[in-house]
Amino acid sequence: MKKLPSTLPNMLCVLTLISVIAAGALAYVNKITEGPIEENKARTLAEGINSVLGVSDAKVQETSEVEDTNGNPVIIYSTDKGVAVQAIDPNGFGGTLKVLVGFADDGTIKGYTVLEHAETPGLGAKAGFWFQKGEKGDIIGKNPGEKELAVSKDGGDVDAITASTITSRAFLRAVNVAFHAYAGASATDGQTGASPQQPKN
Amino acid sequence: MKYLKILLNGIIKENPTFVLLLGMCPTLGTTSSAINGMSMGLATMAVLIFSNLIIACIKNLIPDQVRIPSYIVVIASLVTALQMFMQAYTPEMYKTLGLFIPLIVVNCIILGRAEAFAAKNGPVESIFDGLGIGLGFTIALTLLGAIRELLGTGKLFNTTLYSENYGMLVFVLAPGAFIALGYLIAIVKKTLKI
Amino acid sequence: MKPILSLSPHVHGGDSVQRNMYGVCIALVPALLASLYFFGVGSAIVLLTSVAACVFFEWAITRFILGRERLTICDGSAVLTGLLLGFNLPSNLPIWIIIIGALVAIGIGKLTFGGLGTNPFNPALVGRVFLLISFPVQMTTWPVSGQMGYVDVETAATPLALMKTAIKTGDASLLSELPSSLDMLVGQTGGSLGEVSALCLLLGCCYMLWKKIITWHIPVSILGTVFVLAGLFHLIDPSYANPVQVILSGGMMLGACFMATDYVTSPMTAKGQLIYGVAIGVLTVLIRDFGSYPEGMSFAILIMNGFTPLINTYVKPKRFGEVKK
Repeated sequence: MKKLPSTLPNMLCVLTLISVIAAGALAYVNKITEGPIEENKARTLAEGINSVLGVSDAKVQETSEVEDTNGNPVIIYSTDKGVAVQAIDPNGFGGTLKVLVGFADDGTIKGYTVLEHAETPGLGAKAGFWFQKGEKGDIIGKNPGEKELAVSKDGGDVDAITASTITSRAFLRAVNVAFHAYAGASATDGQTGASPQQPKN
Repeated sequence: MKYLKILLNGIIKENPTFVLLLGMCPTLGTTSSAINGMSMGLATMAVLIFSNLIIACIKNLIPDQVRIPSYIVVIASLVTALQMFMQAYTPEMYKTLGLFIPLIVVNCIILGRAEAFAAKNGPVESIFDGLGIGLGFTIALTLLGAIRELLGTGKLFNTTLYSENYGMLVFVLAPGAFIALGYLIAIVKKTLKI
Repeated sequence: MKPILSLSPHVHGGDSVQRNMYGVCIALVPALLASLYFFGVGSAIVLLTSVAACVFFEWAITRFILGRERLTICDGSAVLTGLLLGFNLPSNLPIWIIIIGALVAIGIGKLTFGGLGTNPFNPALVGRVFLLISFPVQMTTWPVSGQMGYVDVETAATPLALMKTAIKTGDASLLSELPSSLDMLVGQTGGSLGEVSALCLLLGCCYMLWKKIITWHIPVSILGTVFVLAGLFHLIDPSYANPVQVILSGGMMLGACFMATDYVTSPMTAKGQLIYGVAIGVLTVLIRDFGSYPEGMSFAILIMNGFTPLINTYVKPKRFGEVKK
């Protein structure tokens, strides 16, 4: 077959044709992958909520989105087993830090997981386990309503990740934001029964 | 025999990473571990094989003056499709490679092979060229990822070989990628005499 | 380098690589004694390991990997690199980390580029920065000055870390916890081996100036720039430490006098050296105050090492007999 000459009609037709075929193909791929992608997202979220609440079958009953004092979105997932709150702090060492924190009815922290981060591997990236139960910076069981979480350097009682104070501060700020959102939400609609203490500031 | 030659050409003589030094952005950006490097290599290889095949098939339909935009549309569509498939069926991998998947579009290896090989050869040869270059890229990225993972975290393919406390963090970070790549190229050139 | 035989009587000035390298080593003796006094056996272990490892790697790599017959371990450059590297480390650093640092300094920093005279970056600093990024925990926990042990010593925040916290939190009262300027000058603070006693380093610097091993341009331009810039910041916002303490803290003296003045990696002309020194000063203050690491000296010097060829290209020495146009 001979190569098509570069005349204007030829070029127009070919480019249009290629674009149309490409768009059609992509639309088809989008259609077949849409379902699984949504499922993945839902599953990741459900797994996160289960892990921070320490249960295996929490059902999200209500999702509400509020804004913290800096205008960052905070998402509150109320489930039949407790409340999980997703909050972010934009001032981590490498950028935004997104955490999901589970709270018990009295406001104590049941569990947490770091959903997204851009911290340094080997240093700030340790946040995923550093603050878990039994680790050095254990925050599980603490109640941010009684005392704001802060690293020991800033007068708090949480041990910062070694050589990663900035990450630790960002992480604890995000957890505090999550708590305030949780406390605010449960104070207004009283969904969780118990009344966690109001944040002091 | 001819096909084997094309295949080996891509892996050794025209290895995109060690010889042509193409596609440095994903090479340096994604190789923080052997698995990441390998998946990036395989993703690129998949795009490369299909783009080579399609372009070799339609090369005579495309007028010369608009060939670059046409190739880009083909490659970009393939990458977007790949991105959706990865997001749907390998979400973990998609999360790790993240930004670098859409960046395959601008990987010069793919456009380079379309222009240098697929536009001049038949579909079957082009598939083998894509396979060869893709394998060469995958091998290079896996090797680099393995070295960085081993030196940086003491692991290899997520199996701990020695304590992470002895790992040199710099190799997981960007400067380590440059250092490791430099020495790797030097060693490969010296041993293969290319 | 082969000696060039030529006719006519020539007088040799006695200047050689060895003379200069060992001259710098002698200039480091006061700081060496100070580090032994303040850190005791830990300091000795770190320095000995570092020097021995540097000389060993220089020998092993030139002999077995590069296959050179003529060995360069006697010219003193490896000893000097080892000493400077050791001065940049905390006194309780595990031996294996020091050995990795020496391998990186000599192997990556120097011999990869062809050895003495062709390395674009200061080898000791390459080693130090590599270790700092690789082992941030071990590299940033400094023993308190005055402790003689090697392991299990008490560690404390350095003046630099305090300054950084003061800036980050905007709390000027933190600065009152800083050791006094006199303590910093003599060496009663925490830090790397060669960082603690500014006085001893100045003494060594004077010796080098007297012996004409270095000229005044680089150290004076670095320290001057830092003093002025830090002074400005301090005047505008008192949560920035006062300039005297900025100059006396951290690796400032060691960097300005011994690291930045390295022949191979600094510009050749006086004018070039002034540009280089001012740029290092500005970068150091910026990194210290706004960067993520408390100390910016080593990064600043390495960055300017990279610019040295460029400075040399644009600031050329005047050729003999050249007439200004």
